[in-house]
Amino acid sequence: MKFEGKLREVELGLIFYPQMRILNGVMINMKIAMIGWEYPPFKAGGLATHCYGLTRSLSDKNVKVYFFMPKTKHTVNSDRPNLVIKEVGETEIFPYDRPEDKALAGNFFEEVHRYNQLVVAKVKAVAKAEGKFDFIHAHDWLTMEAATILKEDLGIPMVLTIHSTEYDRSGWLDPNQWFIDIERKGMEKADGIIAVSHFTKRVIVEKYGINPEVISVVHNAVYPVPEGKKQKIVLFLGRLTIQKGAEFFLKAARKVLDYEPDVRFVVAGVGDMLPRLIDQAVDLGISNRVIFTGRLTEDEVKHIYGISSVYIMPSVSEPFGITALEAISAGTPTIASKTAGVCETFNNCLKVDFWDSDEMASKIISLLRYESLRRTLTENGKQEIELFTWDNVAGKTIDVYNGMDIARLEKQLKEREKIYKWNQKLASRAYEPTLTLKTKKMRKSKC
Amino acid sequence: MTSICLYFEVHQPMRLNHFSVFNIGTNHDRSVDYFNQKLNQEIFEKVAKKCYLPTNKVLLDLINRYDGKFRVSFSLTGTFIEDCELYMPSVLDSFKDLFATGAVDLIEETYYHSLSSMYDDLDEFEKQIKMHRKKIKRIFNYNPKIFRNTETIYDNRIARKITELGYKGIITEGADRILGGRSSNYLYRPVNTDLKVLLRNYKLSDDIGFRFSTYSWSEFPLTADKYAKWLSRCEGDIVNLFIDYETFGEHQWTETGIFEFLKHLPGEVLKHNHLDFVTVSEAVERYKPVGEIDVPWAISWADEDRNVSTWLGNDMQIACFNELKNIGSKLKEKSNEELLKTWRCLQTSDHLYYCSTKGLADGDVHAYFSPYDNPYEGFMNYMNVLQDLKQRVVL
Repeated sequence: MKFEGKLREVELGLIFYPQMRILNGVMINMKIAMIGWEYPPFKAGGLATHCYGLTRSLSDKNVKVYFFMPKTKHTVNSDRPNLVIKEVGETEIFPYDRPEDKALAGNFFEEVHRYNQLVVAKVKAVAKAEGKFDFIHAHDWLTMEAATILKEDLGIPMVLTIHSTEYDRSGWLDPNQWFIDIERKGMEKADGIIAVSHFTKRVIVEKYGINPEVISVVHNAVYPVPEGKKQKIVLFLGRLTIQKGAEFFLKAARKVLDYEPDVRFVVAGVGDMLPRLIDQAVDLGISNRVIFTGRLTEDEVKHIYGISSVYIMPSVSEPFGITALEAISAGTPTIASKTAGVCETFNNCLKVDFWDSDEMASKIISLLRYESLRRTLTENGKQEIELFTWDNVAGKTIDVYNGMDIARLEKQLKEREKIYKWNQKLASRAYEPTLTLKTKKMRKSKC
Repeated sequence: MTSICLYFEVHQPMRLNHFSVFNIGTNHDRSVDYFNQKLNQEIFEKVAKKCYLPTNKVLLDLINRYDGKFRVSFSLTGTFIEDCELYMPSVLDSFKDLFATGAVDLIEETYYHSLSSMYDDLDEFEKQIKMHRKKIKRIFNYNPKIFRNTETIYDNRIARKITELGYKGIITEGADRILGGRSSNYLYRPVNTDLKVLLRNYKLSDDIGFRFSTYSWSEFPLTADKYAKWLSRCEGDIVNLFIDYETFGEHQWTETGIFEFLKHLPGEVLKHNHLDFVTVSEAVERYKPVGEIDVPWAISWADEDRNVSTWLGNDMQIACFNELKNIGSKLKEKSNEELLKTWRCLQTSDHLYYCSTKGLADGDVHAYFSPYDNPYEGFMNYMNVLQDLKQRVVL
């Protein structure tokens, strides 16, 4: 046998995790290397909100979290002793970028690779200086490459949280194969996957061919937003991309204004669709009733949630949709896309097909006209919101860490042990040249 | 001697068409149909095949086999009878056959299964009772002697009105808070009027209605002889088992064995010499009230709360209810039979029931019976229809 020790084990897919500290079947004093992309105060999407809530609540539950993220203009601070934020280096890429936009001029793929290498180096350095990690936990496609390398080099399990897939971000129109390949590779290597909804779990199983047993669904949560003095405002808030469906919001606005002329419609957010949406508002003849806010600060976001009367989330494809929970927590009745992940778990909101702007308009008008509807939705919504805490999310995430380790890994190890023995048998018969080939085939079929 | 009084509620609501805010105020020139005839027909035919026809047949056989010793009572709502006439007259015929045996009693109620007993004055309530009386007289040539209000809603005011209208008895829920530790297995008298009150034994009734096919129930599976044993151990004059007729074959599917249970129940009960079956009228003739009940706030048989919060529990329901009353007072000034009929069909309590936001265990029951995805959809559709009707009334 050519390879000995760890390298050999990696090659055979046989990795032991000797550093696990297990007490009564549950791991204690976990230490996580979490690789993220954005973190408040800067945020472009639910990933930032999720990482913020999750890391803080994990650290409150005695899990030591090292959060690795790119250096930004804003300084990011931790308010928990158990939570350490490590800035890796600068990069121009965001998880919602497309290779064709941005001034990266064809360097997109190289840039992604370069950043991932930086992450690997940084995590390894921290591990060396401050002791080993128990898990790698990465979010979405951008750092999957780094997570995979770290899993194999450090010999620790890797967890992935999927907030959205390429199919979602492209609105299921012409998804980019390059992203899909990265996502599939990462998911295949992951020891555990957390999906933010059953909807997303289905996509991961059906589109990426991943075994549903390794996927756990953990719905998102929300830090409540204070209620403001309500005005006759109907709000859209989100990235202005094809995924979020702002154009359907404007179509519905046109219909509503025929019946309720004194309503204002606010489109909050930025994105590549902005110029087209402005044109659309002009074409529909409603530009005097629609306000495009551009990028808002966190305080401005809270303010606009608070004073709006209706919040609309007309996403074409929405793995979860934390903004719906934020709006509801601010006492703003919400109309969300039927397929949004949040709709599978939250009852006190209105649901529409994103393309059905007639129905959307009808519901907006109903909400504006019928005070009793508004009040019932608001009161019940606020009550239901209390169930959606980051503490819950952290608890379920820890369950995933634990469950993955003990039950699943044991099973996995047993299976791999079988392969290992079988290979040893073959090796002893000196079939060395075919061994590698067969091993690789086996591994593929196992994963 | 303890008498078993079996009574079934038979009702189908008239479900609405999808009606968005954009439909309000349009089509006033021609008659608007708010009701989804196609859906109503589909559901009616489905339930008739699964429940009404087979259960009626079982009951007819049982009555014949036990030579009239097995006796039951029915209340058929006006909207149900209209559905029969419209979609499947054979269903109505099978009820006539049952009635012709003499072992079946009929119960009065509001024609539209409405909440008119909760209005500020009881004029509309009285009118709807009289409509029902007329209908039953026409079809069965019979004047019911016992009254049962929509979902057994009951309070002192309703009791007095029913006495005035000449009924001998009234049916309601044996709610713990009106009994205060007393047994529901006796007749009672309202505190303010001379009437006999039959109280539903909710434990034994729900054993059949709700728990029959519940695997996690400690008494599962429920057999006729076990149930008859429970009945034989009951103390008191009368055990009132009041259940939805759709329990047989619809809420509890054939596969649960509910029909087998029903087929064997009379035989098992009559094995006990001190048990017999009575209709509601016979119960009121045979037994005397043993005490008084005082019900200032309305009770009903619905949900755990056993009050009217199922229909009037949230702001949306109260807004719709007020709108209904509002339209009613405007209609009084007009004499438009068509609008009056539409208004009355919209009073059917199910429309308000679909808007209930009661959570958890109760919410599940609501979701099962509602044609809407959630109570908010139910509210918007119903309220939009009411707004349209209001405009037509004012025109």
